[in-house]
Amino acid sequence: MPLLNRRAAIVGVYTTEQARRMKKSSFSLQLEALRGAVEDAGLTMSDVDGLCTMAGSDHLGVEGEGSARVAMAHQFWAAQLGGRPLSLVLHGAASAVLPKAAAAVSAGLADVVVMFYGKSGVQTGPAGTPMPIDRAPRVYEWSFAQSGAYMSTWYALWAQRYMHEFGVKREDLAEVAVFTRHHATLNPGSVMGSKGDITVDDVMSARPICEPLHLLDCSIDNDGGYAIVVASEEEARNCRHKPVWIIGGAEGYYTDFYATIDDPWFPKDGKAVRAAADKAFGLAGVSRDDIDVAGLYDCFTITTIRDLEEMGFCELGEGAAFVKEGHCRLGGKLPTNTDGGLLSNSHAGNPDGMPTIEVVRQLRGQCGARQVPDAKLGVSLSQGWAVHGVAGVLVMAAD
Amino acid sequence: MTYLKPLPVKTTLNAPFWKGLSEHRFCVPRCKNCGDFNWIPYPACRTCLCEDQEWVTVSGDATVWSYSVVHRGPGAFDRETPYVVVLAKLAEHPRPCIVTSNLIDVAPASIKIGTPIKVVYEDIPEEDITLFRFAPA
Repeated sequence: MPLLNRRAAIVGVYTTEQARRMKKSSFSLQLEALRGAVEDAGLTMSDVDGLCTMAGSDHLGVEGEGSARVAMAHQFWAAQLGGRPLSLVLHGAASAVLPKAAAAVSAGLADVVVMFYGKSGVQTGPAGTPMPIDRAPRVYEWSFAQSGAYMSTWYALWAQRYMHEFGVKREDLAEVAVFTRHHATLNPGSVMGSKGDITVDDVMSARPICEPLHLLDCSIDNDGGYAIVVASEEEARNCRHKPVWIIGGAEGYYTDFYATIDDPWFPKDGKAVRAAADKAFGLAGVSRDDIDVAGLYDCFTITTIRDLEEMGFCELGEGAAFVKEGHCRLGGKLPTNTDGGLLSNSHAGNPDGMPTIEVVRQLRGQCGARQVPDAKLGVSLSQGWAVHGVAGVLVMAAD
Repeated sequence: MTYLKPLPVKTTLNAPFWKGLSEHRFCVPRCKNCGDFNWIPYPACRTCLCEDQEWVTVSGDATVWSYSVVHRGPGAFDRETPYVVVLAKLAEHPRPCIVTSNLIDVAPASIKIGTPIKVVYEDIPEEDITLFRFAPA
């Protein structure tokens, strides 16, 4: 089968309002985001011929995973959008699936693909689990729910082990929260930016959630939606903004959902994130030093540190020092999470696409007070499903 | 007092594990080909893919490999804060078995990585199940 070999670009991005307890339903947020990104591209809904759903992209508005639900989501949306046949069925989390969307578009399987997500009405943290009345809930045989663990607990376990192995302290993690919040203060759309800067002392004295992580070590929990449009070179030329070319990307995964933990947890050569990053940078033909701006999934302060190491921006064990030296701040050599990240901008359910959207806006020159001057090359990382168990890396370039 | 924390759905595949717990034994599959233990139990050995594994009763000895003191809990766990989630490294070799559980009967401030711990059992007769946890050795 002879395939085309044309370039693919991100031509549209959109974020809804990001706030706590939004009135709009998950479905409405997804629809708003879908239409908003297509409009941002200067395209119309009838130009869309491929969809990329994520966990929760269905009309039921309930977080869930499972192959039946995924199939339903595509079929549901195909019907919802009017019944015009669509060409591409993809599912996955942002930087992990966007390389595949780009490859599909590049090969000619589709021309305009939209990835979208939206969530409201469900809390991500422990408060989102109801108190049982008269019967114990039943869970998967090896579910960590039996031990009262949840996402924050897993990153806390990870942080505890990391701090033990590398002599890193809570004050070092706090530096991540401080620079990320500072970036949020420059982003009027962020959930926490209006609350102003925080200090290391603020982070240290915040109440504990799952030790060693305290409140300000953790991402927020709000509602919102977003979407990203990938299109072919031909389509891109007619779009509203300059194309943000996808020049490299890869995904990686190695472990079961928090059930199989390997010792060592931090091997020198890294795991899924490192594998994806090496492949993505290799395909892009650029080095880590060439990157002007980075969007690294930062659900917790420890995550940013681990992201930096596994992405190859510094050596294993040196992530905290890298942050303390100021390299991740605007003005530093690797401005990171310039919108305020998941820690201070927004964390709505599955925020995998948010780092990519901010990098796109940076490469377009749309970031105002938080603009990285002359940003031409960016990278985004999505991760999760077991502290770096699943990863996606996307390398982007603007002319 | 009704047990209200989440309970596992037992599968036929892992019946020997649950039977072992009811007899206060902790069993882990060990590969008959390469000798590696596999945790969590998997249908084939994760080192060599051999499907021929045997359930071995292990010592129950372990150390704290990581832990977290949890101050906000989901569902019924919120009544028990602060509680401790532990990643216990079993004594058995060669493949490390990192087991997720709770660490009980311990002052949270005294826990360190490396603290010796052991498996303890909780029978819940009205639910036809025995659960396991860890306590200081």
